[in-house]
Parts: sequence; structure tokens; C-alpha cells
Amino acid sequence: MSDRNNNTFISRRENAWRRNQNTTKFEHSTKLGPVSHTVLVAMMVAVLGLIYLTQVTKTSSYGYAIEQLNTQKTELVAKKSELQVESARLKSLQKIQSSQVAANLTQPASTDYIR
Amino acid sequence: MKLNINLSQYRKSEILAAITVGFVAIIVLNLFYIQIIRHNYYKQQAYDEQVAKFVLPAKRGQIYARDGTSVIPLVLNEPVYIAYADPQQVKDKQNLIDTMNSIAGGNMVKDYKTGLDNKKLRYVVLARGLKHDQAELLKQKNLAGVGLTASDRRVYPEGPLASQLLGYVNDEGKGQYGAEEALNSRLKGVDGKLQAVTDVRRIPLTVSERDVSIPAHDGDNIVLSIDRNIQSYAETALKNGLNKVHATKGSVVIMDPNTGRIMAMANSPTYDPAKYNEVEDYSVFQNGIVSDPYEAGSVIKTLTMGAGLDNGAVNVNSTFNNRGYVQIDDTKISNVEEDPVNANATMTDVLHYSLNTGVVFILQQMGGGKVNLTARNKLYDYFHNHYRFGEKTGVEQAGESSGIIIPPTDEQGNNVRYTNMALGQGMDVTMMQVAAAFSSSINGGTYYKPTIVGGTTDDGSTVKEAKPKVVKSGVLKAKTSSDLRDMIVRGRQLGALGGKDRPGFVVGGKTGTSQIIDPKTGKYTNANSIGSYLGFGGNQTPQYVIMVQVKDSKAAGYAGTTAAGPIFGDISNWLIDYLKIVPN
Repeated sequence: MSDRNNNTFISRRENAWRRNQNTTKFEHSTKLGPVSHTVLVAMMVAVLGLIYLTQVTKTSSYGYAIEQLNTQKTELVAKKSELQVESARLKSLQKIQSSQVAANLTQPASTDYIR
Repeated sequence: MKLNINLSQYRKSEILAAITVGFVAIIVLNLFYIQIIRHNYYKQQAYDEQVAKFVLPAKRGQIYARDGTSVIPLVLNEPVYIAYADPQQVKDKQNLIDTMNSIAGGNMVKDYKTGLDNKKLRYVVLARGLKHDQAELLKQKNLAGVGLTASDRRVYPEGPLASQLLGYVNDEGKGQYGAEEALNSRLKGVDGKLQAVTDVRRIPLTVSERDVSIPAHDGDNIVLSIDRNIQSYAETALKNGLNKVHATKGSVVIMDPNTGRIMAMANSPTYDPAKYNEVEDYSVFQNGIVSDPYEAGSVIKTLTMGAGLDNGAVNVNSTFNNRGYVQIDDTKISNVEEDPVNANATMTDVLHYSLNTGVVFILQQMGGGKVNLTARNKLYDYFHNHYRFGEKTGVEQAGESSGIIIPPTDEQGNNVRYTNMALGQGMDVTMMQVAAAFSSSINGGTYYKPTIVGGTTDDGSTVKEAKPKVVKSGVLKAKTSSDLRDMIVRGRQLGALGGKDRPGFVVGGKTGTSQIIDPKTGKYTNANSIGSYLGFGGNQTPQYVIMVQVKDSKAAGYAGTTAAGPIFGDISNWLIDYLKIVPN
């Protein structure tokens, strides 16, 4: 017991604080030594490394996705071009002139103009 | 100094620890050297190994033409594949041959089997021109040692239509002749670039900050001013016309005199641009309308008349004493025998009868009564500075010639030469030059740059129109142009050719039969002469100019009248309907 408790003035406020403070101190029975700390740090670094790798791999996988889409696009463009060519051939003058529809057409006998 | 270390004073574990620490220190130092000091070097080396550079090829622009008011493709790109084999990698040759034959039968190249047997080769072409579906089938077969190379091929849905005008694209992807060569820089586009880290299969992973990705800029899709129906009709009319007179070669150019836009350029003989490698006579690749200058003959008299009227040397009411010949220095210039001798020949007679003496009269009047340096200077000014003879027109065609016109100050630019030039001889001009100059003389006096480019398109239907380009205003005064137009119309109407014109429309023109110089004698001869016809049609406003050229006509009479004239009439009457021209 200190002299302060017996002889010195203790303010009400200080006394109140003392009343509310925990009087029991909890302590872990086990303590982390330097090796454990090192292992924990190493594990944290490893986890961070894994996160980094995951991100990098994820970015790389976009490359494959883009490549796949590019291939798909090339194929579709190629098909479109082939269809355009086929369409143009079917609409060509040679094709039209040799068609049955053209064969049945006749020249107009005369042309008149309405003024 | 002697190093005296007594190891016995240390424990073995301490020695081992020291050695370990020493090794670790060496490794750490080495790592420090590699990772810190040589950091940039190894980083670059790793990057160089991981990164790959790819060229992103630009698509060559496609070529379109008019079909009335709409747009149709003339030249398209079609993806094709080359199948090749590496004989060292081929495991089952017979299976490869059977599979290839079943998929690409008609596309197989000759003698590919010989190549497969040669194990020293690493690249043997098996088939060319495979379509996408065939390539896909081949991929599915997964044949060992067989690969595919993709490329684009030019295809021509309209076949040989306008072949000389279009040109072709060679195996190296470069435009040759015609528009393909002249517009190559616009059509080819700009290749893109991709520089990226790749995996072992060379697939870009796009993870590096140093990646470069520049997209390809495709070539322009060009819409020609050519109308496929007019082009087709011109080609047919030319072919029929040549057959009638048993001629070997001919050309037709049709243009809009009010914009300079070319509606058609037809040549015969022609070729199929899809089979350009089968052509034996390379001269058919040339578009003679722009590349073959010649002495155009009497069609030039219309331009001489325009110069004389504009210059004030003569007017529409001028007359002259036509004696049938005129002496210029030591040369006698005569009319053709059947032409009338008339004391009061008019300027319209000059065009109607194609009077050489009349044209000489105009030249003389330019010189104050005789052909001299003043007359020569004035004619040269009109021919070279106004009509732009001796200059390329700039039409978008490869191999354009500027022709030859000799200045009056040149030793050869004497009075006789200039008299001949006034008649259309003694100077070389292309059909394109003549048609463009003639257009400017009858359209009010504006020289438009002749062009085959009507605009560009992104989607194959909507056209961004190109504006006509005025090269020179005031080629002739508006009044002169109007007077000249009337005289040319009367000149045609008075002749036999004018009788076949559609009534109610304004059609004018002039024949020309050019003698050519016999290489043996060095003198002009009527044998193998070149017939030309130059004219226009429309209503109050000329809507089209047509120039026809026929070589080696076997028909009797003057080739300009008997061979070229009928082709002009045929096309002119058809154009009036096609262009829906309203009569006066």
C-alpha cells in the first residue's frame, strides 16, 4: 500500500477512474518467439505472392480469350467476305443478262415525253 | 607474410558454419550482381525472348462502281489459303495425298508429289486458292506436316468488265496498271503492329507494360465514277463496231463534261484480270486511252476552231475563199478530193467538210493573215496552256502519257508543223487529253480534272462524294463555247451521221481520220489509218462527251466516218435513254 492511498488527496475523478479500471490482467500463456514470427511473415509473403500470381495469370488468361475471339472474328469475316463475293457474282451483269427473266424482256418500241 | 591459421583452435561446427556463410555470401553477392547491377541487361534479355512482334496486315480497299444511283462492287477481297507440307514432318504420305485430293481436288498444284518425295525440302505447296470451308476441313484432319497460309485474293464479280481501267494486283499484293496501280497508296492501307509477350505457342498474353498495339488502317474503299451499265454498253458497242469493219483495236471514253467524271473507258482487245497471269501480249494491260498518244487528226479542228473564235481571229460569220489547197512555205496543204471548192466557205463548212484549208485560214488569221511566229504562239498558247496538251491530265490511271507538243520556239516548231498541228497532225495527244479539252471547250470554258474516282464508301452503299476539281477556268469564253457548240452540232447534222440521232436532242461531233507515218518511207500514209470520232450530246446542256478511236479499220472510206462514227451514234442514242435526258 503506498503512502498516496493513505495520506495524499485523491480527486474524485481519479478515484472514479480507479473504480472502473479492470483489476484483472489477462495474459496469454503462450508467447510467439522469433521463429514463429519469421514463419508468419514468410506465410504472409507467400500469400501475397499467390495473390500476385493469381492476378498475373488472370491477365494472361485474357490474352487467350482475346486470341480466341480474334480467331472467331477472323473466321466470321472470312465467311462474310465469301458471301459478299457470292452475292456480287449473282448480281453481276453477266448473270443478269443470262437469266430467264432478262431473256423474256423486250426493247421498248418508242419513247414519248410528256411536257 | 605468412598466413598462419591454426584450425585446431576452432570447433568443426564453427568451421562448417563459416564455410556455409561463405557460400551464402558468394551466392548473395552473385545474386546482387545479377539482379541489381545487371538488372536492366537481364530484364531486356528475358523480354526479348518472351516478346514477339506481329504485323497486322491492312485489308486492301475494295473498288466499287455506279449502277445508276446505287453502288455495286467491281473488285472484292476473298480470303484464300495455300496448303503446304514439310516433307520431313510428313508421316503418312499416301494418306496425305488421298485426304488432300478429297478436300482440294481442283486446287492441287502440279508435281506436288515430286516435292513430297524430296526430304531435303521443308516447304512444298500442295494446293492454292482454297476457300475457307476447305481450309477448315483440312484443319480438322490434323495431318502431320501440313500447314495453311491465309491471304486475300482479288476477285472480279463482273468478270473482264473495265479490266484495263481497273488493272490487277500481283502476287506481292502490289497494284499493277490501271486504278490498282495509280491508287495503290490509297488502296493498300497501312499495316498495324503488335508487340507482346507470348506463350510458347506464340499466343500474345498482353501482360507487359511495354506491349505495343497499333491497329491496321485498312485501305480506302473507292467508288469509281464509272457506271457499270454504261461501261458494259460501251464495251459491247465497241466490240460490235470493230467487228463490222474488221478492225483489230479500238477504244471509247465517255465523260461528263460538267464535272470531269469518267463514265466509261472501254478498250478492245481486253483481258480477264482474274487470269492476268495467262496473258501473253502485255500491251493489253495498258489503258490506251491514257497511255497511247497519237496524232488525233481532224477531231482537233473543233479545238482549233474554238481557239480561233476565242482569239477573235474568226467569228461564226467569217467566210474564206476555199480553193481546195493552200501553200505553207514549201508544203502544199490540200483538202480531200471530194470536198467542194467554194469562194465563200463558212466556218460551219470547215467543220462539216473538215476543210484543211479552212483550219489553215484560221491559223493565218491568228497571225494577221499568214502563218508566222505570232500565229504559232497563239495556237501553242491555246493548245498547251488552255487545252493542256503536253500535260498529264492526272486521271487516276497508271502509265499516263503527257503526249508531245513542240513549242513554236523549237527548231521543229515551224510554220508547216503548226499548220499540221491545227489539222490534228504533228503532235501526239491521248484520247483522255482530247476528251478533257473538248469537254472544257463545250461546257462554257471550264477545264475539270478528268477523274474516275467518284468518292469512297465504308459500308459498300453510302458514298462520300468527291468534289469535281477545276483545273482551269476561262479555257474559252462562255460565248465562244456556246458558239462552238452550235457549230459542232450543225456540222454533225449536215452530215450523214447526224441523220441517225434521236430527234429533240442536241448532238454534235466531228470525225477524224489520222494518217500515220510509214516507218519505211517516213511519210504519212493512208494505210492503217486511225479513225476517231469526238462528240457530245444532251439538251441545252451537254450531258456527255464521247470519244471513239478505231485502229486498222478495213472498211472503205474514211475510218473516222465509217468505223468510229457509227460507234459514237450507237452509244449516244443509248445514253440519251439511259441517262433519262429530257429533250429540248
